[in-house]
Amino acid sequence: MEPVIRQALRDGEQLGLRYALQIPQVAASGWTGSRTGRRAGSSIDFQDYREYQPGDDLRFIDWGIYARSDRLTIKLFREEVTPHLDLILDGSRSMNLEHTEKPAALAQLAALLATAAANAQCAQAVWLSGEGFQRIPNDSLTPSAWDKLELTSTRTPEQSFEIMPPKLRRLGVRVLISDLLWPGEPLQLLRRLRDGAAALHVVQLLASEDATPPEHGNLRMVDSETGAESEIYIDSSVARQYAENLAQLQQAWADACRQCGAQMTTIIAENLATSLRDLETIQLLTPS
Amino acid sequence: MIPFLTYPLALLALATVPVLAAIYILRNRFRRRQVSSLVLWRFQPQSKPGGAKVHRLQLPLLFFLELLALTLLVVAATGPQWKLPQSARPLIVVLDDSFSLQAVNGGLSAQGRCKIFLEKLFNRQPPPATRLILAGTTPRVLGATVKSWSQVNSLLAEWKCWSPNSELEPAMTLAAELGKQQANILVLTDHKPADEKIANPRLKWMAFGAPLDNVAIVNASRTAFADQDRCLLEVANFSGNGQSTRLTVLAGSNAPQVSLLNLAAHESRRLVFNIPANTGTLRAALDADALAADNEAQLLPPIRQRVRVEMALTNAGLAALVNRTLAATGLRAALTQNPDLIIRESDGPTGTNAWNLCLRETGATNAYTGPFIVDTSHPLAAGIALDGVIWAGSAATNVPGDLPVILAGNVPLLSAREDILGSRHLTLNFNPELSTVQNTPDWPVLFWNLLSWRISEMPGLKESNARLGTEVTLKTSGEAVTVTQPDGVRTAFAKTGGDLALDTPMPGIYSVVTGAGTNEFSVNVLAADRSDLSACASGQWGQWQEDTAQRLEQTSAVWIFGLFALGLLAAHLYLVAAAKGIK
Repeated sequence: MEPVIRQALRDGEQLGLRYALQIPQVAASGWTGSRTGRRAGSSIDFQDYREYQPGDDLRFIDWGIYARSDRLTIKLFREEVTPHLDLILDGSRSMNLEHTEKPAALAQLAALLATAAANAQCAQAVWLSGEGFQRIPNDSLTPSAWDKLELTSTRTPEQSFEIMPPKLRRLGVRVLISDLLWPGEPLQLLRRLRDGAAALHVVQLLASEDATPPEHGNLRMVDSETGAESEIYIDSSVARQYAENLAQLQQAWADACRQCGAQMTTIIAENLATSLRDLETIQLLTPS
Repeated sequence: MIPFLTYPLALLALATVPVLAAIYILRNRFRRRQVSSLVLWRFQPQSKPGGAKVHRLQLPLLFFLELLALTLLVVAATGPQWKLPQSARPLIVVLDDSFSLQAVNGGLSAQGRCKIFLEKLFNRQPPPATRLILAGTTPRVLGATVKSWSQVNSLLAEWKCWSPNSELEPAMTLAAELGKQQANILVLTDHKPADEKIANPRLKWMAFGAPLDNVAIVNASRTAFADQDRCLLEVANFSGNGQSTRLTVLAGSNAPQVSLLNLAAHESRRLVFNIPANTGTLRAALDADALAADNEAQLLPPIRQRVRVEMALTNAGLAALVNRTLAATGLRAALTQNPDLIIRESDGPTGTNAWNLCLRETGATNAYTGPFIVDTSHPLAAGIALDGVIWAGSAATNVPGDLPVILAGNVPLLSAREDILGSRHLTLNFNPELSTVQNTPDWPVLFWNLLSWRISEMPGLKESNARLGTEVTLKTSGEAVTVTQPDGVRTAFAKTGGDLALDTPMPGIYSVVTGAGTNEFSVNVLAADRSDLSACASGQWGQWQEDTAQRLEQTSAVWIFGLFALGLLAAHLYLVAAAKGIK
């Protein structure tokens, strides 16, 4: 793993200490854990009384009430669960665009979210696209311990999903971090990601070069993923057309997210520090 | 139209053109750039994949604009000059100002036809600059150089055709001098040129006259004749046929006298008659014909000026002789107060307006029989012969300052001088007892000359009737003079002195106000040459040479290249601003 990525993971871990992952109510169910669930459970936090029904654990009968009223009453306690965060990272080469902050921003943002999830007593899994989705080594540990976060795939996340989809935890919070720069209909992928999830957040991470067309002149464009080349003379009309295409792409993803109940935001890699408020706006992070 | 380069070395600046091209080639070569995906660039046509690719240099429009602007600036720096044909020459119009152009034919005068032609000329091919010259008795430039027909038309208001003759040759000479042999000259008149073969390639002679029948008053005068005025009217028939016309004469308030004149072809008839001296203005008119200007004459009473003479001679015999002589001239006034002339035996004092005639009494006298030397150019010597005359006088030389008029050897017999106030002091070295001059015609002639000279030096008009175009002399003594023309135009002369020559640009009665007095004089159209319309003609003589092919002038073309370069740079600026999204 590149030192830059490693350093970015550490920076993101430090940055994530200030935040906690915002867990939606529907996600408060799952494996037994340290977080109060939405159902009655076996924690020590009292929740309510109810009349005894056959099959209830006799250990939770309030014998004092039975003594006073001769009625069997069960004490209900809150359930303690462990919510889960699935970080789905775009491992294609486009996220490793040379001469940009894009790979570092990806690592930093992933580490930040993982740390914020830990602050929210939330387990996490980090999935990296490639020849199918694979969990990165040590992803359940702190981000500085992650390994093999390498952005070298020539496949888009959509293609990776077709090869081997990630095994996403049910009722978990899922966050897709990608530049979303591939052709195709985003709705299908989003529906599969949204299926069984408590919440789905799509973070479009773009380099400033992606958001802003290059300066005027003749350019030989090289696709970072496929290596295809295209010679283009950039002028004002071409730059305007590029901006329109980007806007149309973002609008297509935003519409698909809206249909799936997902939240989407766009972050410029070079402006990551100032863009964290956008993550609060989509109710992904909250100050700890 | 091969351009001539003033500074050909400036072409070295064309070396900047390959520099500019190199800059663009280096700047516009395809730079490699990795992008996240080409998905957003798919609107651009893709290069054909595979095989050896020939990369065509893509240069923007700005490059070609800059290249062209640079080239234009370099060419402008060389100072190119083109020989361009000059198709339009300045025009100088010589206008015949004689009154014959007022002759009406078919309801339109020749002057009107000239104006119509000139307007059509301006509508068809307006010259870049136009000057007008009036050819009257003397050529006169009319206004400044004008360009448009409206300006020319406003100047033509001064073209009134009242001149008794038209000096076209001097006017054309003046036009040639003004035009420096480059301008086209157009002569507008009513008769053909003296030489119908016009060799000047810049001269066009246009005539719009017609040979019309015309009967005119060609001579009219009214002179003092004792206690009556003698009038002369001369009527001429300029047509080739006999003409009958009525002459109406209105003398003062008397009933008009109408007489029928039957004139043979080219006949002129003189009418001489006397009218009382106290009769007012005499008006003579002929029946209307083609030219109305010469059908009428007005004659004012002649000016009768007399000299007030004071006789201060002590010699009774001599005084009687002089008195008889003065009476014979008819120019002596009855009054003697405020004399105009004092006759005495000694020279009079200076400081008065009166002239002095000194008949000097001399002691020693010599009688001279000649030869006498007479200054015939002097007003006193007109008609003096002194043939067979014995003139006795003292043998003294003339007084310093006196100019001798009649000499016998070196002895001045008659001398004159002028004092500082303009008065004349005449000295007659004359002894009547030994002379025979007083018995000869030279004696009354001498005194008539003296009085006539004195009258000519007295303030006032010298004549009351003048011909059109002549000058009327007004003697003034320094006061302001206001002259009112027949058309009401007033001309004021402040602080005049001496003789004032008054122009007579049109016929009619002129009023002259001098100090507290008012005088009048009449101007009549009396010009037989111009009243004769038989020589009038229409046609064109001469033609302006269409030499635009030969007349090439070096014209700087720097401004053309500079203007184009500026336009290109402005377009360049607009394109750059538009490309950057600057509005």
